[in-house]
Amino acid sequence: MADSGATAPKPSSSVKLVLLGEAAVGKSSLVMRFVNNDFQENKEPTIGAAFLTQKCNLPTRTIKFEIWDTAGQERFASLAPMYYRNAQAALVVYDITKPTSLTKAQHWVAELQRQASPGIVIALVGNKADLASDDSPVTNDESDADAAGTTEGDEEVAESEENENANARKVPTKTAKGYADEESLLFFETSAKTGQNVAEVFTAIANAIPETSLKGPRGVGGNTNLGGSRPEDTSRVNLTGGQDPAGAKEGCAC
Amino acid sequence: MFSFQSLVQKAQQFIEPTLSVASPSSDRRPTKASLFRHQFRLPDSQNPLQEITAELTLSPHHSTRGSGDSPEKERERPQGIHYVGKLHLSEQYLCFSTQASSFLNSASLSTSSAFTGQTHGAGPGGNGFTLPLCAIRRVERLHSQSYMFALAITTWHGFDNKSKSGEIGGPQKLTVQLAGSRQQCERFCDGLKKGLREGVKGTDNLRSVVNDCYSEYLIATDIENKDAGPGEQRDPPDTGLGTVFRYPGNARKLRDATKIRLWREYLKENGRNATLIRQPTFHKLIRVGLPNRLRSEIWELTSGSFFLRLQNPKLYTETLAKYSGQQSLAIDEIEKDLNRSLPEYPGFQSEEGIGRLRRVLTAYSWTNEEVGYCQAMNIVVAALLIYMSESQAFYLLSVLCDRLLPGYYSTTMYGTLLDQRVFESLVEKTMPILWDHLVKSDVQLSVVSLPWFLSLYINSMPLIFAFRVLDVFFLEGPKVLFQIGLAILRINGEDLLDAADDGTFISVLKTYFARLDESAHPRSENPKLRAVTRFQELMVVAFKEFAGITQNTISEQRSKHKDAVLENIENFAKRTSIRNLGPESKKLSLNDLGFLYDRFYGVLYERQQRAEIIQQEADRKAKAGKAKATEIVTGIPGNDVEMGRVALGPSPTQMDYEGFREFLAGLARWAVTDSPTSTQLNGHDSQSHSYFGGSMRSRSIQMSPWGSGPEPAEHEFMNRLFRRWDTNMHSSLSLQDVVTGFAQVKGTKDIMSNIAYFFDLYDDDGDGKVDREGILRISEALLFLSRRGIDSPATSSPAMQDLHVTDGPSRNEQFLSSVSAFIRRCFEYADPDHPVNQAGNPVEPQEKREEKGEEKKDEELADPDAFSIGDDDDDEDLLDLKDSPAPSTPKLTSNPSAQASQTLSKSLSPSSRAEKHAANVALDPNNPLHITLPTFRMVILADEILEQFFESDFSNSFRLADAPAPSSASSSSNLNTFANPTGRGSTAKPAIPIPGSGGVVPPGKGLRGMLDNIVSDGMRVAAEVKRRMDEAQKELDREAARHGGVGGDEDDEDDQEAEKERRSIREGDRDLLEGMETEDVESGKASAPTISNAQASQTEKTRSPSPTRDREDVVEFER
Repeated sequence: MADSGATAPKPSSSVKLVLLGEAAVGKSSLVMRFVNNDFQENKEPTIGAAFLTQKCNLPTRTIKFEIWDTAGQERFASLAPMYYRNAQAALVVYDITKPTSLTKAQHWVAELQRQASPGIVIALVGNKADLASDDSPVTNDESDADAAGTTEGDEEVAESEENENANARKVPTKTAKGYADEESLLFFETSAKTGQNVAEVFTAIANAIPETSLKGPRGVGGNTNLGGSRPEDTSRVNLTGGQDPAGAKEGCAC
Repeated sequence: MFSFQSLVQKAQQFIEPTLSVASPSSDRRPTKASLFRHQFRLPDSQNPLQEITAELTLSPHHSTRGSGDSPEKERERPQGIHYVGKLHLSEQYLCFSTQASSFLNSASLSTSSAFTGQTHGAGPGGNGFTLPLCAIRRVERLHSQSYMFALAITTWHGFDNKSKSGEIGGPQKLTVQLAGSRQQCERFCDGLKKGLREGVKGTDNLRSVVNDCYSEYLIATDIENKDAGPGEQRDPPDTGLGTVFRYPGNARKLRDATKIRLWREYLKENGRNATLIRQPTFHKLIRVGLPNRLRSEIWELTSGSFFLRLQNPKLYTETLAKYSGQQSLAIDEIEKDLNRSLPEYPGFQSEEGIGRLRRVLTAYSWTNEEVGYCQAMNIVVAALLIYMSESQAFYLLSVLCDRLLPGYYSTTMYGTLLDQRVFESLVEKTMPILWDHLVKSDVQLSVVSLPWFLSLYINSMPLIFAFRVLDVFFLEGPKVLFQIGLAILRINGEDLLDAADDGTFISVLKTYFARLDESAHPRSENPKLRAVTRFQELMVVAFKEFAGITQNTISEQRSKHKDAVLENIENFAKRTSIRNLGPESKKLSLNDLGFLYDRFYGVLYERQQRAEIIQQEADRKAKAGKAKATEIVTGIPGNDVEMGRVALGPSPTQMDYEGFREFLAGLARWAVTDSPTSTQLNGHDSQSHSYFGGSMRSRSIQMSPWGSGPEPAEHEFMNRLFRRWDTNMHSSLSLQDVVTGFAQVKGTKDIMSNIAYFFDLYDDDGDGKVDREGILRISEALLFLSRRGIDSPATSSPAMQDLHVTDGPSRNEQFLSSVSAFIRRCFEYADPDHPVNQAGNPVEPQEKREEKGEEKKDEELADPDAFSIGDDDDDEDLLDLKDSPAPSTPKLTSNPSAQASQTLSKSLSPSSRAEKHAANVALDPNNPLHITLPTFRMVILADEILEQFFESDFSNSFRLADAPAPSSASSSSNLNTFANPTGRGSTAKPAIPIPGSGGVVPPGKGLRGMLDNIVSDGMRVAAEVKRRMDEAQKELDREAARHGGVGGDEDDEDDQEAEKERRSIREGDRDLLEGMETEDVESGKASAPTISNAQASQTEKTRSPSPTRDREDVVEFER
């Protein structure tokens, strides 16, 4: 793990991150986008869990994510404790076109809060944002019709339902955001297909990991705490991190 | 004998789970029948009927002999290859294996119920055959010098080929010589004869099934080629998508043609599909990898799915047809994954391939709805479909899920988790250094290995290698997965020791899998060694170095880890389901929720077990000893052993009414019946654990429909509660329903909502009114709920029981009178249903009446003489008798219930006074009436005891985790001793201490039993009142008819005490009725003394003591 050492003297540490969420909400696709900056239509369902790594460069340090991408089917749930054991961060993913997936996500959040390591950083992520025709948070979604969502919707991973409405969004941003605030979770709406917000999620998580819980070959740097760091500049930094070809190669090596 | 033992074992396991934990090895061994089936991969319908030691002689192949082969010569000394082994006969199969083991129950008594055999049911290893009887054409008895019996068996194929093309196929004939006494041999032959006759029926199935086998085509075309005749051009059978989309790998590199040639030779000599004989070459040919087109057939044969298909060849198409167009959750899940199953294989980018995959997965999900569909099945089936037809893949999937990978794809995936645990422990055992390293660097092995097992290495290794693993796996069973896994770790041991985290660990293995086709020794001088691929090396390590890993190892390890794994899953399931119960559940504490969860599923599980055992007992009786053997060969209990256990997959989640009663009986004392039917509970000391005694006890309890718990009562109230909680109207409750129900009952401390809840329970049509019937039902329910005393929170701990009991009588009697007062007041304040109808009656305007009500309340308080009983101010001073006009309180009685009735009659009587105001509307059946919630509330709040009942007592009567329920032992003995006097003769007299019962019955229980009598009498009174109301509806002349009717109706008790009670009730009733009658004529002031006098005389007659005295007497006596 002296890999990052060549260029920067920045401290590097690894963070175990687990992805949880209902089947076919796009967990693997998010990881694929983050790690390889790639998107596949028909990806084999994850059996048990997949493991990938990706580095995330912050201004002050480098975080190496060890990503455990878990299987989503309900019956695999009993395997999940095996994967979220010792995780420092979790990405709980739902599908903005499927309200039940948010319920499932809430179950996962509750499970993590009670069973996972204390201080775990949890991000709630509404994926498939590309299927929503609107960019702004809306509360009543089925009302307006916008042609943009339809064509993309048909190609969405494992989303077999037809989108009669141009706007397939069924979970209002406000609902999910409200819940996330209540539980003090990070919250994002992403699209693995377009890449929207994907890198931001990981950067935000990297920033939110308490310094003290970081372990790494270089030890903990003498930086101050990161506090409420979710400003634009970190996301910019992160974007480069996510698309850094070297980083991508590193990630997909295994 | 055998079935009885297993029954007892199961019963024990159920009653005393700890016992089975203590001796896991002895009672979790598989049965012989299941071993037999696993050994020969036979369907579950087969049982070992006969077995005998035998020598199998295979005549050298036809072509190597002269055509004029004389039978005489054969008789002299059969030529060819000889195998000694055991010949087995089941209902439809004749099996021979050199891996001799005995499967008959009668074989050895000492091991009859627990025996693994030498082969541990590992599968069709060794040399031999598994012949469906329908595939045998002829059996001739030969004379033999060396053996008593020799049988020449002509198989289907032998016959077929001979008739078809003369010499070339040659009749396949095998000779079996039986070694045993004449009697044994004859018995075997008789069995065989019988089986053969039956077997004829299967010939049609056999013909159709065999047609799908590639070997038929292979041999047929071979013959045609040799004949060079035009013949009819046969279409090759469907051998999977590979024929269209190419098989994976390079056929030439795989030396497919050579393999086919070798197989053709082998099949020609040794029979094929149904009649195949396993010889050493067979095993070798499998180890080197099957040729593409033969894979389906050999997989079918070695896995046994062939026999499943033979048994029911149309199941696949029929299932598809039957469920065509139907939807299910499984189908939704399948649809999600169809496009992502081996997507890199061209066949699964086509509609054809996807369609096949969809149909096979869907059909299976219908035949096994418990499993339904699990991710990874799509990958496995997709792989199978490359080589097999749809229907072949369907049957093979069944064998995989049901037998080879038990519990892998179940809803909890317990099989997967268990085998991961087993794998870890095997790694720890065989590679301690690596294991230590993994532990030290906190790498979780199962994270890596789980997909290997779950998808049979198919998405871990390159396909061509995964299929070679499958070739062996189907033949040798699940142990192959473990052997390969161990070998992978062994080979990569050094690299893995360098890996310090999950990431590197995984990448080492990924790299290894990617290079399986490379040379294992690239730098070796020896070209032969250089030619050995890494995969070959893997196979060698797996099957040589880890040859010690047998099916038995796996089974043992599975039983060892089973409990821990199941417990983990159950904890997880419990946690999850409690958390997901919704906002309502937040009203209950986590402890309570946990308790409800345990109790809910506990009851469901026990009921299922009981049903199962009772069913088996019935089966056993019906079948006379041919009990259905259980599938434990895998080390994991089969479906029928521990069904219902949450971790084992889909368990019942819905509780019917019977279950609900049982459920309540464990939570609330009032829900336990007064008259248990099973007297066998008597005298069973829960402490006795002697093996024999214990097992006998378990067994006898098993047979009772309520198991070991207290027998639940049956009361309309429970039914109402059930219906109320059954929000979906499915006549069954889910945990969610139960928790929501409890949240409503227990979760709120608000008396108003409790009262409203109770009211709603009885408001059948939801119009906010409860009619006369309902009022009476409510009062019945109140008495029912309180008949065992009311639990105050403080008295729930056993230590407080004494205190509680001493406190009991007064409270209970108070309650009784409160209920009477309740009835009275309800009627008093009830609104007429149809005001118009009341026109003729002197009904006072509602307002006025209410005013009067207020007035009257005041009156009551002011006039203790008339209304002492139900009223609050007298609580401390034990009420009625104090105020009774009777000059002297009688000192002694053995019949406390007299008091009850007395109390009731007295308290009921004032209601007659009320009629002065209500103009007798209340009791006149011609005047329908109802109370509304406000009235009900007012009536409840008017009485402190009822108020307290709704404030806390009712919800406290359910004891959840925070107030542990009384042990079933004590409550049941309590019941037997006291509540059911008819069953116990002399003990019915409560004042007599029961010798020897001191240990079982807590002190004071005697008194409790007495109270039970009081209360149940009270209930009877209430019931009686109601009944008379009904009667009154029909009869105007009630006086005469009533007295006769009552006496006759109740003559079911023989006890003298009971007789007295009954009399006193009648007295009470008469009082009541007299009161009613007099009411019309006399003034209220006058009626009260009349009644009091009547009571006084009655009291004197029965010499009823004051409650206080009574209690003291009893308590003293008991000590």
